[in-house]
Amino acid sequence: MTRPRLAAVLRHGILLVWVLVVLFPVSWMVLTSFKDAGDWVSWPARWLPFVDFQPTLLNYRQIFYLGGTTQSGELRREASEQAYTIWKGVGDSALIVTISSVAALLLGSALAYAISRFRTGGRNYPYTILTIRMLPPIVVAIPMLIYYTSIPELFERLVGVRVEFFDTAYGLILLYVATTLPYVIWMMLAFIDEVPRELEHAARLMGASRLATIRKVVFPLVASGMMVTLLFVFILNWSEFLLALTLSQPRVLTLPVLLNKFQSAVEGRLYGPQAAIGTVVTIPVVILGFLIQKHLVKGFSFGMIRR
Amino acid sequence: MASIRLENLVKSFGETVQAVRGVSLEIADGEFVVLVGPSGCGKTTTLHLIAGLERPTSGEVWIGAERVTDWEPGDRNLGMVFQSLALFPHMTVFDNIAFPLMIKKVPPAELGERVRGVATTLHVAHLLDKRPSTLSGGEAQRVALARTIVVKPAAFLMDEPLSSLDAKLRVEMRTELKRLHATLRATFVYVTHDQAEAMTMAHRIVVMDQGRVQQTGPPLAIYNEPANYFVAGFFGIPAMNFIDGELHQASGGSVFQAPALRLALTRSGPSAGGPATLGVRPEHVRLSDGAEGWPAAVSLIEPLGDETLVFLDYGGGTSLVAKASAEDRLAVGDRRRFTLRTDKLVFFASSDGRRIA
Repeated sequence: MTRPRLAAVLRHGILLVWVLVVLFPVSWMVLTSFKDAGDWVSWPARWLPFVDFQPTLLNYRQIFYLGGTTQSGELRREASEQAYTIWKGVGDSALIVTISSVAALLLGSALAYAISRFRTGGRNYPYTILTIRMLPPIVVAIPMLIYYTSIPELFERLVGVRVEFFDTAYGLILLYVATTLPYVIWMMLAFIDEVPRELEHAARLMGASRLATIRKVVFPLVASGMMVTLLFVFILNWSEFLLALTLSQPRVLTLPVLLNKFQSAVEGRLYGPQAAIGTVVTIPVVILGFLIQKHLVKGFSFGMIRR
Repeated sequence: MASIRLENLVKSFGETVQAVRGVSLEIADGEFVVLVGPSGCGKTTTLHLIAGLERPTSGEVWIGAERVTDWEPGDRNLGMVFQSLALFPHMTVFDNIAFPLMIKKVPPAELGERVRGVATTLHVAHLLDKRPSTLSGGEAQRVALARTIVVKPAAFLMDEPLSSLDAKLRVEMRTELKRLHATLRATFVYVTHDQAEAMTMAHRIVVMDQGRVQQTGPPLAIYNEPANYFVAGFFGIPAMNFIDGELHQASGGSVFQAPALRLALTRSGPSAGGPATLGVRPEHVRLSDGAEGWPAAVSLIEPLGDETLVFLDYGGGTSLVAKASAEDRLAVGDRRRFTLRTDKLVFFASSDGRRIA
């Protein structure tokens, strides 16, 4: 074998191993989601559907269960002590994550513009913002819990109105906006810095107001970057667990928190429904990724804007 | 159409940088004025102050009869062409040209008509559906001009618009801009660091250095009668020869004494004495055939085609550049004598560079 050929084989070999390492947990999750209770933790592991085990849709039927009559025994765990359906979690997660991601994107883009063009907050401001992310979330979670439970009291005493933050959708939205804002600012700063100032000067000389300039010139040019940032923030919020666990439920229940709940007194950990939810939760992220692939490529190759 | 008046403009950035230090200037309606100077001389900042892209630290800007110092750029009725041209990359050529009309809410029918009209004038009508990134340098230049002209501004501001073009195209566009100015009869304020652009296009040149106006005047006046050492050195290719020496008063006029050069000035020379710098343009250094003048050795020859630049070592600190006829057969190492046209000599005070004669 020639040297380049050997190198190619070696390279592909390493990549193949790496792909297996990366994809194993995902494939295991998908496999488990189609297994019945007995097959979840059986040893030796059952790998091949239809050969090693009989695939079942039971887990999916459980998590998507809409109520109504079912054949007896088929959805065995429906009447047990816990909620298994995914709908509540999907609704809460979709609402909270969408609103907080879009809000963070808009606020962060505006902030990034101000920092880029007016050096708002001074030279070190972007680094100061970054300190929000320097603490592990658990460090923030407990004080936030104290704030969220004591602020309503304070409000009630001061203005006579009680505004709840704990276990509310907007409570989590506020928190998610705050925690993802540094990411948005840093990513959008990189994109906005790439837009030549002369373009804005030209627009303003032609009579466009500052806002019109941003809307018609700056944002269209960083649209790809905004899409990438939105996806990034969406994934962060979509999979956020610790803050939601501490500051929400039972009234507000996001998917990652729901995932953690599958515990049954009779059967122990319910890996099947858990894997099914895991699979379902992953799908939107993958779809979003595909949808904005064009922007991803554009967004990650900085310096695209010439002239 | 409008005149522009700058009154004692000062612009500082932060505490340390003073980009413009007191510029006063009157630009007549329909005049083609070129601000020229080395980079960092404050010419672009001055243009931005006129445009309203920068607010002056002190001083005033007048356009026509209006004091516009605090006006938004878009309210000043100015058109500007930028160094980078600043075409919007995400819009077609049509949308680029239409942009200022859309901002002004011109009805669609009239908008289309005006865009096509100006595109035809500037020979870019066939490019209307293209994106700026697919245009050649000259085409992009024309589109940028079209976008500026379409709103019929009172005055045009141009910030080194030709600097991104190659040499040949630059010369072509220079002519075209001059023609455009003649057609539009609008006020043009043009910023460049290229003295050739300034000389060829301007009605009046404003030479700037270190945030101050060094001299204003028609191109030939600037060239022939530089106000100071800086202006004299900035204009002319090759640059003016400078010889450092000393002026003495003697009976019957003054004498300029430099190493290896003693020059008796017959005409009414500088009255003051002291250290001075003699300036003489290469075309005013003559190679003589006879025995008159100072001896020198030819150290370098640069043929330009129509004439030849000859570098002469005459014993002074630097060599003297002379423009000689191309027919003059010269070789490196030749010993020749040279004379200076005494009526064309200029003198500057060594202390501050001010012209003294």
